[in-house]
Amino acid sequence: MRNRVLALLAIAAVLCAPVLFAQAPSGTKAFDAKAVDPETAIKAAAEAAKAANAAAAANWTPPRTAWGDPDLHGYWLTATYTPLQRPAELAGKPFYTEEEALAVFKKSVESDAEVDPRTVHYDWKEYGMDAWQSPVRPNRRTSLIFDPENGRLPPLTAEAQKRQADNRAAARARNPQVGVQTLANWYTRCITGNNAGPMTRGGNPGSDSAAGAAGVTAEAQIFQTPGYAVLIMQSNSDARIIPLDGRPHLPSNVRNWLGDSRGRWEGNTLVVETTNFVAPGTNFLGGTSGTKLIERFTLAGPNTLQYQFTLEDPSTWARPWSAETLMPRIDPPLYEFACHEQNYGLMNVVKGAQTREAEAEAKKK
Amino acid sequence: MRHQVIIIAAAAILLALAATPATAQAPAAGLFPGYTPPRTPDGKPNLNGIWQAFVTANWDVEAHPAQPGPHPEIMGAWGATPGGQSIVEGGVIPYKPEALAKKKENLEKRMAVKVTNDPHRYDSGETELQCYRTGVPRANYMPFPFQIFQTPSEILMVYEYKGAVRTIYMDPHREAPTDSWMGWSNGRWEGDTLVIDVTAQNDHTWFDRAGNFHSDALHVVERYTPISPYHMKYEATIEDPNVFTRPWKISFPLYRRVEENVQLVEFNCVPFVEELMYSPLGLYRPPSR
Repeated sequence: MRNRVLALLAIAAVLCAPVLFAQAPSGTKAFDAKAVDPETAIKAAAEAAKAANAAAAANWTPPRTAWGDPDLHGYWLTATYTPLQRPAELAGKPFYTEEEALAVFKKSVESDAEVDPRTVHYDWKEYGMDAWQSPVRPNRRTSLIFDPENGRLPPLTAEAQKRQADNRAAARARNPQVGVQTLANWYTRCITGNNAGPMTRGGNPGSDSAAGAAGVTAEAQIFQTPGYAVLIMQSNSDARIIPLDGRPHLPSNVRNWLGDSRGRWEGNTLVVETTNFVAPGTNFLGGTSGTKLIERFTLAGPNTLQYQFTLEDPSTWARPWSAETLMPRIDPPLYEFACHEQNYGLMNVVKGAQTREAEAEAKKK
Repeated sequence: MRHQVIIIAAAAILLALAATPATAQAPAAGLFPGYTPPRTPDGKPNLNGIWQAFVTANWDVEAHPAQPGPHPEIMGAWGATPGGQSIVEGGVIPYKPEALAKKKENLEKRMAVKVTNDPHRYDSGETELQCYRTGVPRANYMPFPFQIFQTPSEILMVYEYKGAVRTIYMDPHREAPTDSWMGWSNGRWEGDTLVIDVTAQNDHTWFDRAGNFHSDALHVVERYTPISPYHMKYEATIEDPNVFTRPWKISFPLYRRVEENVQLVEFNCVPFVEELMYSPLGLYRPPSR
């Protein structure tokens, strides 16, 4: 809880560095020693994973809400160290043994905890922002993608290859290139958060730079009332309202950045279908606004939520693909993430990129 | 003759005072007698649903005539302000004299946009213009619906405007970690009324587009009382000793949206304000050479 307050303050600090550092919050000095000790975190994560496996094996029955739906409500962590796609050296090996999973986890934590002075502007763990400072757990899966069986994204269609080449050519043709409008990442512009669309896209060390940091604002809340589920993401305080009454989707010309979600129960699983996205974003890993997102939420134990998602976009991938992660239950609450209101970062990103472009051009002359 | 004029004037003032609505925009007395709302499974009044205010307080919480908008030369009637009655009990906000001067200054510079890398960013104009969260109580009288999701431990309010979210902690109450745009809400039931104590709001938001404002000492106590299947009475007491001479009250009805399959349609205004905010800095479109 305390770490998460600090983490949010730290994000605010990153977004508005000149302000907060001028004020030097004294609270950052008093730190829980455990939170900056990777060994303790690794031990705790191993025990949590063991308890979760035992609960899943013990034919566990999920609780019900007062009106009889499976009760998924609570706070969940989307952070993972498992990459979205299976690394080439693990071809043919979808699962680690428990011992291997722990060893890989340990390696990830240790590399995450290291600070490379050449690249790191802030030591994130000082602010509780490393993933291992959250209740992230080891995972026996070697990749989040389980379908196709090779754990890799399906090949791009010819149409998608042409589209991506055209986009790159258009970006090169712009001179100079950078303005707010030309930034492809919605999160940089604070239009949506890091968990819009699929709630997780794999972690450090990810095989895809679009995967994003594993541990930063990786909290999500599920809220349930009769006829509705609501997903609230810590990142950007995005809220997705999911009617469960079988109503039709909005007409196809009505588009939301978070899409238009409809849910239903299949046994103990909440199945959510989301369409009507405004535009393609980095969170869709190449998918267009025509992407259909299907998510499956199932309690796998008192403190573990199984989350599966499928992305379908015939104009991008030859076939749909699916991924799975296990989300640990975490303590409440979430905090307001007023991203746009204090998006100092955007100005600096664009100004910096424009400066680089001007320098490059001057060199050419 | 002269005395008569004075007496008539005094009578006119008394009549005017008597005509001032004591309960602001509360529903007319006797319209909804003795209503008992349906219950949630835990026996509390069920406020679940999509609600919306139909007052013009977002333009000005005090009484105001219809006015042209800031750019009538291009926006015509689209940009105009509808006239409306005050939602403030007694009609006017009890400002301290220096605060009233600030309110007038706010109105003058309400369209100022100053995107900077320091806290002066928030010395600029009205924050709705820049798609910032509006704070409480304003979120409840924006011209957009909001949806209530009710559980025994927490009540969630999702506002169509900007998709702003508020969690109201019912049991247990929680302490605000720091100031924020929508503040920190702890709630309780008083009979059939949901009472919410809202603290820890920052001082950047205004109550309306007319410059009515508060400091970070703002303390709001909201009361939501269902009065029919389709109506709630909304009341809020507003306290801020830095700005006002005394606590003051607002009230207006909230109406249930009853259309078949009604839902919030996203109003993510961030892309709508990027040109306004970043173009003057040469950051919106690449500068032309």
